[in-house]
Amino acid sequence: MENEHETVTGDRKDTSPKAVSKTAQLIETAQARLAGMTGKRYWQTVDELADTPDFQDALRREFPQHASEWVDSVSRRGFMKLMGASIALAGLTGCTKQPDEPIYPYVKQPEDLVLGKPVYFATAHPFPMGAVPLLVKSEAYRPIKIEGNPEHPMNRGTTDAYTQGTLLGMYDPDRSQRVLYRGDTRDYVNFVADFTAMLRDKSSGGGQGLYFLSSTVVSPTLAAQWKAASAKYPNAKWIQYEPVNRDSARRASKQAFGDYVDAQYRLDQADVILSLDADFLSGLWYPGFLKLAADYATRRSMNPGVEMNRLYSVESTPSTTGFKAEHRLRMRASQMEGFAAAIAAALGAGSAPSGAAWTEEQTAYLNAVAKDLKTNAGKCVVIPGEQAGTGVHLAAIAINQALGNVGKTVVYTETVNPMPTVQIDEMKQLIGDLNAGKVDWLVILDTNPVYDAPADLSFEKAMGHAKTVAHLGLYVDETGSIADWHINGTHYLETWSDVRAYDGTVSVVQPMINPLYGGKSAHNIVQMMLADPDMSPNAAVQQTWNSVLGGKSVDQNGDIHNGLDPQWRKALHDGWIANTAFAPRTMSAKSTALASVAVPDPSAMEVIFRPDPTIYDGRYANLGWMQELPKPLTNLSWDNAALMSIQTLAKLNLVESDVIEIGYQGRKIKASAMVMYGHPDQSITIHLGYGRRNSGRVGTGPGFDAYPIRLADSPLFISGVTVKKTGESYACASTKSHYIDHRDLFARKYGFEEEAEEAKPDTAPHSLEGREAEQRGIIRVATLAEYKQNPGFATDLEDETAPPRSTTLFPEWDYSKGYQWALSIDLNSCVGCNACVVACYAENNIAVVGKHQVQVGRDMQWIRIDTYFEGDLDKPKAYFQPMTCQQCENAPCEQVCPVGATVHTPEGLNAMIYNRCVGTRYCSNNCPYKVRRFNWLLFSDYTTESYKLMRNPDVTVRSRGVMEKCTYCVQRISAVKIRADKENRAVQDGEIVTACQQACPTQAITFGNINDKNSRVSKIKAQERNYTVLADLNTRPRTSYIAGVVNPNPELMENA
Amino acid sequence: MAQIFDRSSNSLTRFSLVLYGVILIGLGVTLNYLQRSPWVTRQGQRAPQPVPFSHKHHVQGLGLQCQYCHTSVEKSSYAGIPPTKTCMNCHAQIWTNAELLAPVRNSWATNQSIVWTKVHDLPDYVYFNHSIHVNKGIGCSSCHGRIDNMPLTYQASTLQMEWCLNCHRNPAENLRPTSQIYQMAWKGPSTLHPVWCANSATTPGTPTAQLVNCTTHDPDNEGAELAALDMPNGPQSPRFNDMKIWSSSGEGSIHAQVPINQHYVKFTDQRDLGKYLLVQYHIRPPRQLTSCDTCHR
Repeated sequence: MENEHETVTGDRKDTSPKAVSKTAQLIETAQARLAGMTGKRYWQTVDELADTPDFQDALRREFPQHASEWVDSVSRRGFMKLMGASIALAGLTGCTKQPDEPIYPYVKQPEDLVLGKPVYFATAHPFPMGAVPLLVKSEAYRPIKIEGNPEHPMNRGTTDAYTQGTLLGMYDPDRSQRVLYRGDTRDYVNFVADFTAMLRDKSSGGGQGLYFLSSTVVSPTLAAQWKAASAKYPNAKWIQYEPVNRDSARRASKQAFGDYVDAQYRLDQADVILSLDADFLSGLWYPGFLKLAADYATRRSMNPGVEMNRLYSVESTPSTTGFKAEHRLRMRASQMEGFAAAIAAALGAGSAPSGAAWTEEQTAYLNAVAKDLKTNAGKCVVIPGEQAGTGVHLAAIAINQALGNVGKTVVYTETVNPMPTVQIDEMKQLIGDLNAGKVDWLVILDTNPVYDAPADLSFEKAMGHAKTVAHLGLYVDETGSIADWHINGTHYLETWSDVRAYDGTVSVVQPMINPLYGGKSAHNIVQMMLADPDMSPNAAVQQTWNSVLGGKSVDQNGDIHNGLDPQWRKALHDGWIANTAFAPRTMSAKSTALASVAVPDPSAMEVIFRPDPTIYDGRYANLGWMQELPKPLTNLSWDNAALMSIQTLAKLNLVESDVIEIGYQGRKIKASAMVMYGHPDQSITIHLGYGRRNSGRVGTGPGFDAYPIRLADSPLFISGVTVKKTGESYACASTKSHYIDHRDLFARKYGFEEEAEEAKPDTAPHSLEGREAEQRGIIRVATLAEYKQNPGFATDLEDETAPPRSTTLFPEWDYSKGYQWALSIDLNSCVGCNACVVACYAENNIAVVGKHQVQVGRDMQWIRIDTYFEGDLDKPKAYFQPMTCQQCENAPCEQVCPVGATVHTPEGLNAMIYNRCVGTRYCSNNCPYKVRRFNWLLFSDYTTESYKLMRNPDVTVRSRGVMEKCTYCVQRISAVKIRADKENRAVQDGEIVTACQQACPTQAITFGNINDKNSRVSKIKAQERNYTVLADLNTRPRTSYIAGVVNPNPELMENA
Repeated sequence: MAQIFDRSSNSLTRFSLVLYGVILIGLGVTLNYLQRSPWVTRQGQRAPQPVPFSHKHHVQGLGLQCQYCHTSVEKSSYAGIPPTKTCMNCHAQIWTNAELLAPVRNSWATNQSIVWTKVHDLPDYVYFNHSIHVNKGIGCSSCHGRIDNMPLTYQASTLQMEWCLNCHRNPAENLRPTSQIYQMAWKGPSTLHPVWCANSATTPGTPTAQLVNCTTHDPDNEGAELAALDMPNGPQSPRFNDMKIWSSSGEGSIHAQVPINQHYVKFTDQRDLGKYLLVQYHIRPPRQLTSCDTCHR
């Protein structure tokens, strides 16, 4: 154990000047190598490029350092003793009989329940940036899988990583399970008594002194309840605050239009898209993400008649959106407003900021973008980032108006959230009132201000001035643990509510299960202030929509119903209330002038705050799936880090993993340094949500808390921070180098001359990811012009290198009959958002292993998103490639399994029989794609009761010592085949949908039968851009990829 | 140097070599028998149950149909264990004071499940689906034996993998007309008891039960009317009307709808019937039925 830590962090502890030169040296070597390479220069990490000893060491084995060693602190002797005993016991367990299993039948079985057959219910995931309409798979009334609602006009069945992860949230055993009063267990009725007594007292004063602090209100019913309550208690106040909010957009909208409006972008209509720090393709944190990503992807389908769009991205922190862009310009956060205004000025929408000096590169970019936008006026769109300043939003509004995009590619509508406010202003007001002693009762609903409120407002101290603080939440978190009252909240899968998707369509949130721990929702609390205090959330929601749904209705039998029953049932069944989408409002911006654009100090170090791609603002911190999920681009798991460019790292005399202290206005935080390629220099990005102090067994601890330097006046970024090296070191867990192979060195060592020669030992990096991406075409991409000239560019290479089908040791198998399953992944559409990875967790009962196990390369995700960088270290391009079992027809893994635990099925699946696996791991050694996962320890949780309810009953929960991998969701294939066989018909195209395909926001994944020439997957695979990875090995994968095509602006090609 | 071993040790060595061999073979044989023995497979064992429920009494004696209790056997992977309510449908009226039924009444009163012990317990890594078997011509008794003769329920088959594979490799041995699925006494056709079958539909999408008409009464003789009564979905099934093959006499009566001019084939051997049904019921070939992913995921 001790030793291991030494080596993991080993020389990183070296803080002498030697280490300084190390980073610089690294850059030099890497750049030299880059310069020596020709053609497309792919790499994954700088260590790989520079081919450092560390990197070579990491590659020496299939799994990184010490991966195959015992990790518990047990001596060798103790180990032998244990092993001896366990071998004896293992032999014995093979002989024991199965224990008796009890059956618990119902006493009265629900009429429509067929045990063993899942039912799907429509609901929606409430999220402050717009809800995600869902269809939840329910097995004996236990929600076990969240899927998008395929019929919903907004998301058409797609979901995202957060939504997939919320399932684990419901079953989280660390959730708050009871009502607490100052730490002691109470009943909810005790709180009701206390609260109503207070209400009686306050009714004469109109509720003076009663304050609510909630997360962003997304429920129209909650807003209606509050409206009614505030009519009764006019002096009571309601404040909304979330650390990741839409304040910039709200301020801009108020200034430009005099009212709060939401902008909906119609990317299917846009030929040219300019993103001003808008990360709209990465995740739910961008309002309307699912629709934006889908529309963006439809314009990149390369289908006949679809003109390809072009995306420009100017961004302060690298995102997958930026790397999907044809032209990406990195820019410091402090320059964004000025640059946005400069573009606006170039398009005649405002005046250029004075004093701003743009570099040659920036000027060229600005001119090219402005020209391209102007040429495509009315067919272009400018999208401002939610985490960019108000000025960026104003510039975007101005440009869109000046170019006549309004009503075409951008429409303004009523706000999706029913109570739009500038949250930080409200929060400041609340703190003022708290400190002035005006607050008697503070009711905190589903938010955690003690952890995430701006540090300079000292929320915790201010909260102490309130006489009584009540907290409703899913966890006894930082706030809940010091509030007087804590009420256990309900998960959205357990309660009634309503929400709007970003297009405005109302969805009713219906419970899938009785609250596991009998919680309450905000609806219950606010309802207590009204005339009918016991009205259930269900009734409250019905009441809200009565006027929309209600009236007389005639059902199929001609019976007339008064009231909303049939309509209400239809809304519940469909998952949305018809005709509630917002109509576009005709808006004209009055004033888009920015008060003043400060000229940023180019030497000042900046820190940018962003919501975390996996745990958002910290609310998903206790979800193991989300913690372990490798973040896009960095592949960082279980932590956040101070992300900076490699030049900044060198300039600060740091190496990766050094802990730095970031100071700002007398406040400081610590964070571990990490390189983010393509990050602007002199700038650091820290993701929010980590360093939780009170978030359950999973979330408490990991990472670094960035909130202590996030202040009320500068919540987006701060400029002029001090960075100090602490001398400490903190090893992060990144999965980036886990799947790198070392075939070249092997070839050289064992004298495979031909291959070794190919490897060009002097110049080429030695990994599957780097050298092979280049030489063997793992990533294939062309510009639109190249594609038009040579549509078969993707397979040119293959024709040269692929061996003939007959070159194999094994007999030819006839795959021409029956179903032959195959998958296709469109690299042009894939945005690297991780939704598929989390969907796979839920569908296939994948275990969470913990940070230390991830560090030694034992992460269990069946699908991973490989990021390949190409070109310059500072301004690389990046390509995303989801990689999972390729279901090779000539599977190398099958040949080496001594027990036949992995075999081929007649339908072309590479099946894995867990109960037969003895854990030799030969299959994984022999897998060129590195997609097999081994249960080194007992990773699956067999004991926690609530997790048992969550598991997919159709998939084996794997035990220790068993290899596992993607099976194309064989349980879904079987279910559909049985259904079709019972009906004596063939499986229809599109009837089987794999979990990853189902979740994908851009529909990049297609599954089907390739023996059916009319199936979608056959048609996609027939495209000229179709290629398979490592075809030269003659593995004949069933998964193929569609090569990417980019549409760069010829004017910027030099800089690209 | 003196001899260490006596000459006799030569024969001792030979003997012990033979003995080792015998012990090894014996051990192998013993283990082989042991792992197939009822002690391991639980074949034939009667697990203790809270109520000594008799299938013999309810099925053979009273004539309850299987699906009265096992409601989801045709629809789901799980045949279904009846809720207490199903017991109380009758036992609220009869045997209301029987001591044997106290756990049932108790369950009804306290809303707590009757905790049965699983008799047919497959390992958790095996995915078995009842519905596809009963929909494709495998009768209850093929796996569960003569459950209608069991006063106390026990496992009739070994439920071991080799037992599953025996049938998946050669399903024809066990296929029967879907009209006979719940017929516990079904023995397959013989010269004394032949079976006549005729295919009635070939359109894809037709439920298996409507693909073939089988009868144990000779349709060429006066048995035609009885044959009609044997038909799976009753003679009024709309599909038969579509086919317009009915005799014209006695319109409106049941007799009118007997498909007498269908071409019936006579079977006197299970193997022939099995082969016929294999084709008619679109049973997958053994190569697919024995693919690992059929049962293991």
